Amino acid sequence: MKYSLVLTVNEENVEFQINPNRTLLEVIRNDLGLTGTKEGCGTGECGACTVLLDGEPVNACLTLALQAHGKRVTTIEGLSKGGTVHPLQEAFITYGAIQCGFCTPGMILSAKALLDRKPKPKEMEIREALIGNLCRCTGYQKIVEAITSYVKDH
Amino acid sequence: MSEYKVVGYSLPQIDARERALGLAEFVSDIKLSGMLHGRILRSPYPHARILHIDTSKAKALIGVKAVVTAEDTPKIRFGPRTDDWAILAMDKVRFVGDEVAAVAALDEETAEEALGLIRVDYEELPAVFDPLEAMKPEAPLIHDKERNIVSEFKLAKGDVDQAFKESDIVHSASYYTSQVYQAYLEPMACVTDIDLTGKLTFYLATQIPSMTRLTYAKALNLPLEKIRVVVPYYGGAFGGKMETNLHLAAAVLSQKTGRPIRMVNPREEDFIAGNPRVPMYIDLKMGAKKDGTLTAKEVSVIGAAGGRAVYSMVIVATACYRVDSLYHFQNLKTEGVTAYTNTVPTGCFRGFGNAQMTFAIESSMDMIAEAIGMDPAELRIKNGLKTGEVSIHGWKIGSSGLTECIRKATEASGWREKRAQKRSARGIGLACCNHVSGNRAFAREFDGGAGIVRVGREGKVLVYHGESDMGQGQRTIFAQIVAEELGVPVDRVEVARVDTDISPFGLGSFATRGTVFGGNGVKAAAADARRQIFELAAEMLEANPVDLEAKEGKIFVKGAPEKNLPFQKVAENGLYKRGGAPIVGTGFWVPDTVLPDPVTKYGNISPAYPFACQIAEVEVDTETGEVKMLSYVAAHDVGRAINPQTTEGQIQGGVAQGIGWALMENMVTERGRVINPNFRDYVIPGPLDLPPIKPILVEPIDPNGPFGAKGIGEPALNPVPAAVANAIYNAIGVRITELPISPEKILKGLKAKK
Repeated sequence: MKYSLVLTVNEENVEFQINPNRTLLEVIRNDLGLTGTKEGCGTGECGACTVLLDGEPVNACLTLALQAHGKRVTTIEGLSKGGTVHPLQEAFITYGAIQCGFCTPGMILSAKALLDRKPKPKEMEIREALIGNLCRCTGYQKIVEAITSYVKDH
Repeated sequence: MSEYKVVGYSLPQIDARERALGLAEFVSDIKLSGMLHGRILRSPYPHARILHIDTSKAKALIGVKAVVTAEDTPKIRFGPRTDDWAILAMDKVRFVGDEVAAVAALDEETAEEALGLIRVDYEELPAVFDPLEAMKPEAPLIHDKERNIVSEFKLAKGDVDQAFKESDIVHSASYYTSQVYQAYLEPMACVTDIDLTGKLTFYLATQIPSMTRLTYAKALNLPLEKIRVVVPYYGGAFGGKMETNLHLAAAVLSQKTGRPIRMVNPREEDFIAGNPRVPMYIDLKMGAKKDGTLTAKEVSVIGAAGGRAVYSMVIVATACYRVDSLYHFQNLKTEGVTAYTNTVPTGCFRGFGNAQMTFAIESSMDMIAEAIGMDPAELRIKNGLKTGEVSIHGWKIGSSGLTECIRKATEASGWREKRAQKRSARGIGLACCNHVSGNRAFAREFDGGAGIVRVGREGKVLVYHGESDMGQGQRTIFAQIVAEELGVPVDRVEVARVDTDISPFGLGSFATRGTVFGGNGVKAAAADARRQIFELAAEMLEANPVDLEAKEGKIFVKGAPEKNLPFQKVAENGLYKRGGAPIVGTGFWVPDTVLPDPVTKYGNISPAYPFACQIAEVEVDTETGEVKMLSYVAAHDVGRAINPQTTEGQIQGGVAQGIGWALMENMVTERGRVINPNFRDYVIPGPLDLPPIKPILVEPIDPNGPFGAKGIGEPALNPVPAAVANAIYNAIGVRITELPISPEKILKGLKAKK
């Protein structure tokens, strides 16, 4: 039995008929073809699938697609709509915060969620906000530095 | 300030934008028309004979397009080094996770359901899990051999017994380095495709695109030209993404269905059937004079290969003798054994045996320093190899920044002051390392790097190489090198993704060889392109090619910059003059390294040797045994940093990974089964677990590296566990010689002290 799923993704209205056991991650990647959101573990531990659901960071792999019914989803692609790179993305690029880039979309969205809530966080608050996003390449330091410099410049 | 225009600057990675925008296509993002989803059926037993496989129910499931077993493969035994692999198990399974069958279905859910419908009748066999047990003659045999020994390593120089007699201090210790998981964020993944001639295209996350073809051609019984490897973006490797049955199972499914197959390891399967670090038992005996001169070293290494040999025996060999070229040694006795065990096959992980042995030797050095009352930093400086020296195995140290690394690290960390204070439960520890930038012994046929540089009509430069960017920034380094060589801004240079149909043969990214070998290869190709550009420009400027210079996108006569031509104009002109042909520069670089003597191991195996000194500061909670990292300084001799920011990022990442190994990570197994195959129970460092990590770049400018550069990847991690262990000892007087350094071990040690 399929259910109707109506939601806004990156400010575009979309509609699907889906099985209730589909996850938000599957719908984003497979049905919408937005592969910027990654699957790193499928069990909500690595944060590579982080998207914003009504502005709150969630693990899309643990969110049933139907839980997003009627809500606003922001994926990494939504940050640079219309081709302009978001200044937070620019900071990541400039400060060497990206190596393999697999954790990057989730990391940036978690950072954005923090900054939308708290525009001038201290370093410890930044680190705490990123605790759900694993990175194996960078040691997190340049990620924190990128976010810190963004905070200073904005 | 760099003396160059592009090399030496902290430019953003050339592909950071794609990655930041989520537009970079990773292997697990690839979608091909008609693509099916593949999954592997894995053995639940550590050691069992396969009696019968019934795939009929799985094949009958709607949506299933193929179910394959060993019967659908050429049943050839193959392997990267040995011949003990099978694509799918032929007679026995040898570890929990061993590949038994594979399915292809229209979607992932159907593929998973099909796995549950395959019935396998096993006869369980006695199993052995520890290499010490597996080595024994009475152990159950895992392969068709008399003993479970993959290989042995023996090496002796001088007279250790006499040297120990003449030593003022002889120190012995036993160490254990744990089996840990690379934990790259993107699990192992591939997409395979097949054309009407049977040619397979593998879209792979692989560090070794060209070498992989060789192994896979043998496994699939295909001519080499029927195998094409393409390397898209992929999410990290750290050594763990070399040859793997995942790719081959997908290829067999492509052959069976005629369709593209996507196969991605669920994370749990990646834990149990990946290639974690070779665990080692190390017994180390060292002698020294009371003035700190090292006299002799006797070491025995026993490592576990797992159910089949990946690179474990090479890793054990490396553990056995790489550190011999860190310090001056005259007397050595070394024995290494690699044994099969009914556990997940162990493989390459940043450090490749040298990391394991560095933990042992740098811990012992710390204890020797204490015994003779010498500053551990001074002990390293006294014994460390210097520029121009040749090690006991004939390694020519073209440049050594080790002493400068030690001086800078001790200064930056406040080493002297902190060692002099008695700070309750706070400690500071130091460890050094050496490494190679590429290893001649890895592939018998050759070592070297090659490149192709194409300059089009628009003056846009496209670089082809054969190595692999796993996120470490290699493409950016290559772009900077080529841009410098051609005198163009780096944003005029693109680096093509590796496609073995077009790209040069590259040995790949391992042994910290990428910058030196790949870098020198593309540099040679760029030089060839520049020669052709200068010939064209000389004609246009009515000058002599030898009088020309290229800078900032302009070609001009030296000393007369006002008479110049834009790079793009020369390229365009060249195309028109030559029937439409773009300028294509090809080049290669072969160092004068040698294969080591098979018995004595003598021979200079690498063109450049990086060194490092790292200093860790910790605070130990004596009630809970928990260790808090307070600060970390990592001084690295990198020859020259082509891109300082990228190099710093590598150092910080390597230190973080080392801290995880030292303190947090542990693959817990029960009868060969990994019982914590997830990120909840296998804990890798998060943003709150790490101290500020201060990288210091030491640049002695190597004679062989491109623009003087050496490698950084593996040295970034090698010294970490010893630095942490030494800091803990300095803090609470407890010496831990087994990784991980858990709170339980610390509390046990504190209790024993009372």
